[in-house]
Amino acid sequence: MRLKFKPSTLVAIIAVAVGVLYIINANRGVAPYSVANFGTVIVVGAALGGIYAISAGGLVVTYATTGIFNFAHGAIGCFLAFSYWELHVNRGWPTLLALAAVLLVEAPLLGLLLDKVLMRRLRNAPLVVQLMVTVGLMLTFMGISTTLWKPITPRTTPAFFQGHGVKIGDVTATGHRITTVLVALVIAVLLRVLLYRTRLGISMRAVVDNRNLAGLTGARPSVVSGASWALGCMTAGVAGILIAPETGMVVENLTLVIVIAFAAAAIAQLKSIPMAFVGGMVIGLAKAFTSVFVSFGTDWNYAQEAIPAVILFIAVLFLPQARLETGSVRLTKRTERLTTPKEAFLGACVMVGLVSAWANGWIPWFSGTNFGERTEIWLGRGASFLVFGLIMLSLVPLIGWAGQVSFANFAIAGIGAILFTHFGGQNGSPIGIVLVMLVCAPLGAIVALPALRLKGLYLALATMAFAEFTDKVIVRHPQMLDPSATGRLYKPMKLLGFQMSSDPADRKAFIIFLVIAFAVLFFLLEVLRHTRWARRWIAMSDSPAASATIGVNLITTKVAVFALSGAMAGFAGCMYGLSSGSFRVDSFPLFLGLPLVLLLAVQGVRFPVAAFMGAIGLASFPALFEVLGRPSFLTSVELIGPGIAAIVMVYRPEGSVFYAGRDLAGLLPWRRDAREEKALAVAKERAQDITKDEIGELGLSRPFTIEKVAQLDRALNIADEMLERPTIGMTLDDVEEVTGGAPVG
Amino acid sequence: MALLSVEDVVVRFGGLRALSETNLQVEEGRVTGLIGPNGAGKTTCFNVVTGLQEPTSGRVRFDGEDITDKSPFRRARMGIARTFQKLEAFSSLSARDNVLVAAEQRRAWDRSINPKAVTQEILEKVGITEVADYMVGTLPTGTARLVELARALAAGPRALLLDEPSSGLNEEETEEMAKLLRVLVKDGLAVLLVEHDMSFVMGICEYIYVLDFGKIIATGTPAEVQADAAVQAAYLGSAAEVVA
Repeated sequence: MRLKFKPSTLVAIIAVAVGVLYIINANRGVAPYSVANFGTVIVVGAALGGIYAISAGGLVVTYATTGIFNFAHGAIGCFLAFSYWELHVNRGWPTLLALAAVLLVEAPLLGLLLDKVLMRRLRNAPLVVQLMVTVGLMLTFMGISTTLWKPITPRTTPAFFQGHGVKIGDVTATGHRITTVLVALVIAVLLRVLLYRTRLGISMRAVVDNRNLAGLTGARPSVVSGASWALGCMTAGVAGILIAPETGMVVENLTLVIVIAFAAAAIAQLKSIPMAFVGGMVIGLAKAFTSVFVSFGTDWNYAQEAIPAVILFIAVLFLPQARLETGSVRLTKRTERLTTPKEAFLGACVMVGLVSAWANGWIPWFSGTNFGERTEIWLGRGASFLVFGLIMLSLVPLIGWAGQVSFANFAIAGIGAILFTHFGGQNGSPIGIVLVMLVCAPLGAIVALPALRLKGLYLALATMAFAEFTDKVIVRHPQMLDPSATGRLYKPMKLLGFQMSSDPADRKAFIIFLVIAFAVLFFLLEVLRHTRWARRWIAMSDSPAASATIGVNLITTKVAVFALSGAMAGFAGCMYGLSSGSFRVDSFPLFLGLPLVLLLAVQGVRFPVAAFMGAIGLASFPALFEVLGRPSFLTSVELIGPGIAAIVMVYRPEGSVFYAGRDLAGLLPWRRDAREEKALAVAKERAQDITKDEIGELGLSRPFTIEKVAQLDRALNIADEMLERPTIGMTLDDVEEVTGGAPVG
Repeated sequence: MALLSVEDVVVRFGGLRALSETNLQVEEGRVTGLIGPNGAGKTTCFNVVTGLQEPTSGRVRFDGEDITDKSPFRRARMGIARTFQKLEAFSSLSARDNVLVAAEQRRAWDRSINPKAVTQEILEKVGITEVADYMVGTLPTGTARLVELARALAAGPRALLLDEPSSGLNEEETEEMAKLLRVLVKDGLAVLLVEHDMSFVMGICEYIYVLDFGKIIATGTPAEVQADAAVQAAYLGSAAEVVA
């Protein structure tokens, strides 16, 4: 490895080092720097680090060989750890047999299945879809684990080699921990050897560089990606089984290991297995070091848990600037008619009308009247669904238009809600709302700042780290929120004739105010879509390189959209405070924010109306519970459903609003355009049935029959070109396009 | 003094030299050709000029000013525009909006223009008014290339870099493209053209640079370049079959 730093990087490294030393020194705990204590740090830290290293290694392998970053890595490991518990502890299989069944049979099969059903189709999908599908997969596996192994029953898996251990000085390294470190080392070496020294590994790396070219030289892309995912699942399983005795068999804990693995993988810049190992060890040792030597005091009680998030953030800070890549533009095969302001206005009126009618009890079934005394509860719930709808709405320009996948907005809304207690929420002043929005706008931009110059994936990681940091540190600091303050933090507020508070008597007025606010923002967004701002954001999302070459300053353009989105999230936070009247430290955790992003994406992230549909979607589960009388199967549906819905995006990437809108418009007699559009889309989809993978494989298998050549022609859209250029046929450019990984068509 | 000059530019990707000590000059009011076999470094050269690729060494000068360290958007604002070999159109915007985005952006440094009017004028000039309201993702590749050209023109460039503009166009459309380029250079635009269609290149370029393995192996008028033995060996020999 070559270590070469620019002067500015060196300064930054020194600054971070000084900062870290200062924080350690300022928060020195009571433990002396003794040999025994350092021994403990190394034993505990190396064992933790080993697990993180295995996880990160698996992440890096799948990313480096398939180009897909697997957010579900931790959840898969968790699922496999539970499988191991089931076989070994519950059914009493011997350790080795259970291990073999899980790691050598179940994990590879799971990987092959994921590859076949999902990942292979995901490779050419836009980043938004890739992220949503793997996050959906994560929630699905969490849901499956929770459903199959109900958390009510406490479970433990025994540590390996219990009772054995090595005493080094005063410190005992347990057998389990020694095993962990050794396994981590072996896996790191094996992965490295596999990738660089075996034919399969070299094919794997070749395929990610250029799958079609690799296909022509004899690598089989589908075999390679199947192998990658099988390998990924196996490493996830190893990490899950090893960490289960340390954290306990708790789905959230086992899954959250992934955030730590993300940090280690980011240190490895998502490509180096040895660096992933080093990264894992660094984080493990840092955690052990702080737990022994550093005491953050009561104010920063949970800072310890935020260390991986901070490391992830710092690692992102030091990543080299991404080049503006060309040749990755994906042609979107669809047409779209923009919503006119008039239609948007009508839509806004319908929203207000629907919700007001429901609040007044004019709509049977889902109206409060049907639930008798539950009316007020339902009005309260309705308000919180609309607040979540507002958060989703804030994501439409950010993710849908500018293509910036951020998981921070939920956390920003939480910060907004807390700030509101300081800025007038306690005395009913509406100016506080404006102040909160003014603070949240730059906050949104600052969160994104380190990742602005990087690939979109790092933005998702950095914002996730921020959400985790907010959850663990910011909202728990007594300066932000007095932990002893229970009860009402927000005084009722009078605004434009509406009395807004969490009082049952005010709820109807409040929900009507909320839907009006929602409708106004919806309308403004639809109008904004017609302006140069939205056009520039969409252009930037479609091709950053081309945007830059027509003079678009990508950084300021991104900052603008983050600020807008942050302000909207801040507003949503204020509304949350007013509607619930109080705020708890665990009101806005990371795991609640993810489903919101998914729900919006499933509905159609480019369309403001999707946020409204998302709010209705949120309401549908509790409503179904109410109507169907709490059947138990619905609990699992609720746990697994959102994830599954996101996974379906592989097949329907545009979101349900898009497809439903097109199909419904087609029913209107005067919308012939919509019918033609659909016919065109169906025809195009059929033509794309043959994916580029299959082209690679078709091109390899001999003999070449006329049918095969015709199939290839169809897949490459050569037929059209032949009609246009009958004399030339396939030129050098076409060959280059086939081999160069350019989008077909 | 040439408007745009590339001076001793070297680009290295690991052990591979994509460009080695490349020099070229692009002058106003004429089409300068840059040809060479696939992988010769033509697109890398474009990326260096527009700032998408940092050169390992060497300078890029525009209008007398050293722009080697300027970011891509600053170069665009100075008057360098380009199209791409592999389509980089804004595929989820309509053709009109593709051009409009560039025109609106141009207002940031040129308050005198009316973006909507400029857009309409350029759409007509390039001949894509009929498809202006279709999303670019739904257009055939050749037409989408014209949209890219229109978008580049809307940025109001003084130097225009075209990367294989005729690929995907039929003969008639290629002829139209040649006519358009002649009009543009007559108005003083400097054009640097990368192209595989030899009859197109030889018909329109006044001066040609030939790249092979990152090195300029020949320069001169079309006639001189065609007569050059090194060029024939490296390039025309293999491409002649395609053209014929």
